[in-house]
Formats: sequence, structure tokens, C-alpha cells
Amino acid sequence: MAVMDQAQAPAPPQGPAGKGVKSRAARPAAYITKKVFALVATLFVASLAVFFSRFLVPGDPARFLLRGRSPKPEALEEITRQFGLDKPAWEQYLNWLGGILHGDWGRSLTYRQDVSDVLLGRLPTTLQLVALAAVFITVLGLFAGIVASLNKGFGDRFILITLTAAGAVPPFVAAIALVALFSVGLGWFPSFGSGDGGWDRIWHLTLPALALGITYIAMVARVTRSSMNEQLLREHVEVATSRGLTRGSVVARHVLRNALGPILTVSGVLVAGLLVSSAIIERTFGLSGIGQLLVQSIDRLDFAVVQAIVMVVVAAFVLVNTVVDLIQPLIDPRIAAGTESR
Amino acid sequence: MSQLLKIEDFTLGFADRPPLLDSVSLHVNDGEAVALVGESGSGKSLTTRAALGLFPGGSEFSGTVSVQGLNTLTASKQRLMELRRGHASMIFQDPRAGINPVRTVGDFLTETLLRFHGLSRAEATERAVKQLEQVGLRRAKELMDQHPHQLSGGMLQRVMIAAALLNSPDLLLCDEPTTALDVTTQAGIVRLLREEQQSRGMGMLFITHDLNLAASLCERVYVLRRGTVVEHGPTRNVFQTPQQDYTRQLVEATPVIDVADVDAPAAVGAPLLEVSGVSKTYQLPRGEVITALDNAGFSLPEGGSLGVVGESGSGKSTLARLVVALETATTGELSLRGVPRPHRTLKAAERKVLAKDVQIVFQDPYLSLDPRIPVGNAVADVFRLHQRQGRKQARASAAELLGKVGIGPERFDARPRALSGGQRQRVALAKALAARPRLLVLDEATSALDVSVQAQVLELVEELRDQFGLTILFVTHDLAVVSRLCSEILVMHQGRIVEQGPTARILEDPGDDYTKNLIASRPRPLWDAEPVIA
Repeated sequence: MAVMDQAQAPAPPQGPAGKGVKSRAARPAAYITKKVFALVATLFVASLAVFFSRFLVPGDPARFLLRGRSPKPEALEEITRQFGLDKPAWEQYLNWLGGILHGDWGRSLTYRQDVSDVLLGRLPTTLQLVALAAVFITVLGLFAGIVASLNKGFGDRFILITLTAAGAVPPFVAAIALVALFSVGLGWFPSFGSGDGGWDRIWHLTLPALALGITYIAMVARVTRSSMNEQLLREHVEVATSRGLTRGSVVARHVLRNALGPILTVSGVLVAGLLVSSAIIERTFGLSGIGQLLVQSIDRLDFAVVQAIVMVVVAAFVLVNTVVDLIQPLIDPRIAAGTESR
Repeated sequence: MSQLLKIEDFTLGFADRPPLLDSVSLHVNDGEAVALVGESGSGKSLTTRAALGLFPGGSEFSGTVSVQGLNTLTASKQRLMELRRGHASMIFQDPRAGINPVRTVGDFLTETLLRFHGLSRAEATERAVKQLEQVGLRRAKELMDQHPHQLSGGMLQRVMIAAALLNSPDLLLCDEPTTALDVTTQAGIVRLLREEQQSRGMGMLFITHDLNLAASLCERVYVLRRGTVVEHGPTRNVFQTPQQDYTRQLVEATPVIDVADVDAPAAVGAPLLEVSGVSKTYQLPRGEVITALDNAGFSLPEGGSLGVVGESGSGKSTLARLVVALETATTGELSLRGVPRPHRTLKAAERKVLAKDVQIVFQDPYLSLDPRIPVGNAVADVFRLHQRQGRKQARASAAELLGKVGIGPERFDARPRALSGGQRQRVALAKALAARPRLLVLDEATSALDVSVQAQVLELVEELRDQFGLTILFVTHDLAVVSRLCSEILVMHQGRIVEQGPTARILEDPGDDYTKNLIASRPRPLWDAEPVIA
């Protein structure tokens, strides 16, 4: 409990008002530095896990490369040396890490190409798919959640049941259902391929993105609904209403705005799931993205590609969550002050 | 004079349940301050909110509630919003809950000006700053950019008042606006409200559970009980010559400082609790050190009663927690019956030994009882732990003790949620007494209760004190409560003990400025210019 020396007004537990002003400039900088440091540390630990987990997997990549032929020992040795597999593990790691920092992810065993080239050819498709899915998730998820929380009774229950059902549908089932309805039945959207950029690309990716996002729409809608419901009961919402604000203003400025924190946190965590689930969707819709590449590469023990993809996914996940953490204090200033308990 | 707010035969309730408000009729004239007094659950908040057209969802109502001729029960949404924007404003109980924590104070103040009064941002800001200064806040410009968590409760309530006044309302509705504040802060807010109401000629409806507060602010009063108005009239008449039994009970139960009535026996025995040079500091993560308790020293004799009085942040609760070993002192000595307390967290066995001698009752009986455990078992468990009684014997002892605190055997198997606040606090008391302690620490033990319930609990504590020869350490913010129960008083301010001595002496002739301020801050009736403690 704070003890302060202001004669008029006793201090709240959070401390006197003056302190917030004094260190206002210093605190965000420290906060950002801390988050960025955590980001780098997480990526470093992830790189260790990603690289050394290869040594836990059975099978010799060089042997696999020779497709089951029984090779001469010299040939095997040659390939092993060519890919640097003869060096001690830590040296391999340092070379790999150094390469990454220079943009060199190593060579793919199956494609006989630089990993970065293999990846760059496919990454845009996946990113566009995930981005479009994210748009659907945000728009539809928030919309469903807001409508549910503002329409108590039948509307709420109807949306809740629909969401529960939607959340239980696996992406591949959703994909098949969507294709059956919208491309085979109605013929509105293509069922295959990724189009030629621009609107054509978006048109091609609409069904995949919907199929990918449907589970997440349900999750985001649920979080939005419960977070809004919690805020709706707050006294400041009643105060806002009592001051003559319109329902719309009250909801936008005082309910939704305050409910954003938890929604954002959950959304950040969902990103990892999106990137991973995209493998299934890419396969179903015949898109050549990194999801499908990952599955193939694991099959073929193409460790350089697997490592690169996993690192990209991990980096994307950590980055998104760091951004979420950095945005949180802007949404709720109490977090920056370290008094989020109230 | 026209009737600004007129409520007639207003009934409100939910289907298939008895009404929450039953034919309530009241009115407020232009420029008049009217109090609506009642205990929790009496329906005072519902009545006031109805004036703004705010009703609980799914409720059914009848009668009329009209503000300047507009019937809020039937008015369109648009008319209601116009009423709220320019004619009637409300000040809520807890400013910390009532102002959106994620937006700035300036945003809160200018929100309605920008939207409904057609002001530009600069004009609105200027008006808001002026209003903040008028309600007595310094550095108003800086405050506009700050967030609510950076302000103290008293400052926030001033912000809330400023926001209400910015709409220049004709009718000001106040819903217990000072309940969440300290006594000295409350005095300032009450003065401000009275000044504004007088100078602007606003009509005011002031809700409170505190009769003294109502008397200090309002000319007329309505007494509400379980949804019906039981008595109304000029404040002085109602409080000095109440006509109804309920009002009489309420007036009698309201604690007042009466020096002649300090009947707590002076302590005679050997010292039970000795505290010398005790300090408690907390280190914040940022390296800042907070001194919650600074060099406290006192001694409490066996059978004595000591009241620890102070406002929030004064360190009084820290002191109570130190005595029951929930906290460990940073420096200083604390001894109970001559046995010094070790400077570390107690081990479970040591704690059990200590708990036999010292028990505490907390402020909120809704939080301090386990909701799953029937109250009889809760008390019996203490008997089994501390008196080593068997299951059967413990149940019998528990039933007997609960009977003594006024909880009949039919409640033995009830869970806390089936009991009222007063009953729960009695159970909490019984739990503490079951250990047969020598020292009973009451940490704001009656603050969360209605005045009539508080009076009963205080009476009970008095009885138990005389019956068991208990030594009592009563921590509270309410001087009147202490004056009734304790023979000695210790006044705390900002972690330090500023004054201590016999109750009568401190109340009649306070030596310290802070004590004087504390005594002078108690609300005084409008008709009585002299302090209540004459």
C-alpha cells in the first residue's frame, strides 16, 4: 500500500499521480527493449531446438538422398562431406546460424537448390492465404461476437450454437463442404490453384481462407463475446449511458475498446495454428505453399528445408506475439504502469 | 417553485417476484437538495436511475417518473438521451469503477461536449480545464492527459463531478458519491457539492446510507426501506423526532461521537501485546521503497481495548496483519505475553500456537468465509483444531457459540451464501472466538455492514468483550465506532502513529493537527454549526 505526502487526497494503492508523469518517458523505452530482447532470446532458443532436434530423428539424410540404393562407402562419404554432415554438431549449428544471418539457409537435398529460393517461391502463397484468413477471422469473428453479446436471448444462443458447431469442423471437412457448395454447386469460386495475382489471387484464395479460418472465427467470436459481456457489466459503461451517449458510441468507445485486450492476446496465439493448419488446406486446394512443402520435406528427410520452414513459422509466431505485447499498453495504459490487477 | 423531479406511485419489479420498489412517491423542487436514505437493498439506486430512464433489463414498472415534465417511463430513446445530455446528470459511487480506465481524463470530460454540445476540440478542452479548476483540482491541464489509475480516489470523484457539471444540468443525482472515499476527502467533496448546488441553483437528489451525511447536505429527506418510503420530511424533524419505528432504529444505530458515553473499561492488567519500533517496508520492482508502517510503538494491556484509526494508506491494516503474523516486520520488536515474535515467516506449528491467542476478523464477510463449507462446520473445525475436541463435541460447542452470537441451530448447516451480511460477520466472529483467543483483532470488521447491522455487531462485540474478558484491537476509519468500543485510541497517518491516548481525551482535546482534521471532517447537520462532539 502506498503512502504519500499529498495533504488533500490520499494515495490510491497504485501510487501518487505525480510519478506517472516523471517516468513516463523512460518506461515505454524500457518496456520495448525488454520485449525485443525477449523476442531475440526466444528465437535463439528456438533455433537451438530446431537445429538439434534433427539429431533425435532416426535416419541419415545422405543415405536417403541415394534413394535406397546401396551406395559405395566413398560415395556416401562424399555426399556427407558435401553437405557438411561430417563436422561436429556444434560447428554445423554455428555454420547454419551464421548462414541464416546472411540470408543463406543452406541447400535443399531434394530440390538441389538454395533453400531460400525454394522457400521464396512458396512463401507468398501461404502468407496471402494466412492474411486473407486473418481478415475473415477478424471481420467475421468480431462481428459474430459483438452481435452475440449485444443480443441477449435468442440471437446470442443461435450464434453460440452455430459457433460451437463451426469450431468443431476440421479444416479439411470445411474445405470439402465449401468446395461442394460454392465451386461445384454454385460455381462462384474456383476449387483449385492460386490464380495470377491481384483480384484473381484473392478470388482463388477465398474458399481456402474461409476453410482455414472457420475454427478460428469461432474462437475469436467466443472470446469477443465473453470479453464484451464482461465489459458490459462495468460501471463505467452505465456512466457513459447515463451521460446521454448513443448505444453505438457506448459500445464502440467503452465496451469494444476495453474488450480488445483479451481478443488481441488470443488472436496472437492463434497465428501459430493458422500457419500449421495451412498445410492441410494447401493440399486440399492444390496450392503450392510452405505448408505442403513442409510435409513433403519431412517425408524426404530434407532437413535444411524443414529447419528453415520451422524457423519461419516460429519467427512469425514470436514476432506477432511481440507486436501484440507492444500494442497492449496502447490499448490499456495500466499495463505499462504495471497495475493491470484492477 | 416547480417540481423538477416528480416520482409518483413508482413500482418496479420482475415478473413472479415481489416488487423491488413499491409505490414510491417523492419529489425534488428546483434548487432543492433532497436526501434519499436507506440501507442496502432498499431500492435507492433503482429509484434514482429511473430518473434517467435507466432500468434493469427485463424489469416491469408502472407509475410515473417525470423530470421537467418528461415521463422517463414512456419517453422515446431520443428524448431520454436529450434529458441525460443537458438536463440531468448523475454522480456514481465509485469513481474508479465509473470512469473508463483505458481512456484519458480529458477524453472522459470532453466526450459529451464534442458530441452533443457542438464544441470544437480546443473549446471543449478549455471548458473542461476550467471546470476541473473550479472543482478544486490543481494542474488541470496535465490531468487532462492522464489516465484514471494515475489519480487518487478523491481526485477522480472531483473529475466525475466536473463531468456532471459540464453538461450544466438542472438536476444532479448523486449515488453515494463519497462512500468509497476517506473521511477527510469526503468532507471536501461534500463541501464542493453543497457549494455547486447552491450557486447553480440545481435540484439535487442525494442517495446515502449515512444519516449524518444526509443531514449535512440536504434540507429534506426520504427514508426508504425495502422499496417503500417509510418516512419523509424536513431533515431535522425526521432525524430529531422520527415518527416511524424504522427511522428511530436507524437514527439510534447511527454511530455518533459521544464522549460521555465512552464506557469501555480502562485496562488494568499486565501488557498482553507490546510493540516497539516496528516498521514495515515494501520494495517495488522498480526499486522504489514504500514505508507502510514507520516506527510504531504501543502496548496493549490484558483486557484492554485499543482503537486504531486512520484513512486508507495510513498503515493501520499493515499493523493489524503484523499483529496476527500475516506479515513480518522489517524492523522492530513485537511481543505477545512477553514472548518475542521471530523476525521471519512463522512455521505452521508456530502459527497454530499463535492462532490460539490471536484471532482476526476481516472487513468483508462475503470474502472471508469459504462458500463451500456450512457455517456450523466452519466453526466446529476451529474447535477441533484448537481445543482438540472430538467431532461430536466440536459440533455441540459450535452450536452453543453460534447461539451466543445470535445464529440459531437451524442455520448450522447453511452455507454462507444463505446468510445475510450481518449473519456472516457473526459467523466470522464465532470462528475467531472458537479458538478462545486472548486478543481479538477486528480489521474494519463492521465497515461493510449496514448501520443497523453494524450496531448489532458492535453490541455483540461489547458483550463478548465483557463476557470473555477479551482484549480488543479494533482497526477502523470510523472515529464514532471506536469511541463506542475502545478505551484507548491510536491515530495513524501515512504510516506513522501521530497520537495515542485515552479515547475521551483524544476526542475532546486532540493534540495533533491531523486528528483535529479527522474529527472536524465528520459530517455535521446543517442545523448544527457546532461540531457533533460538543
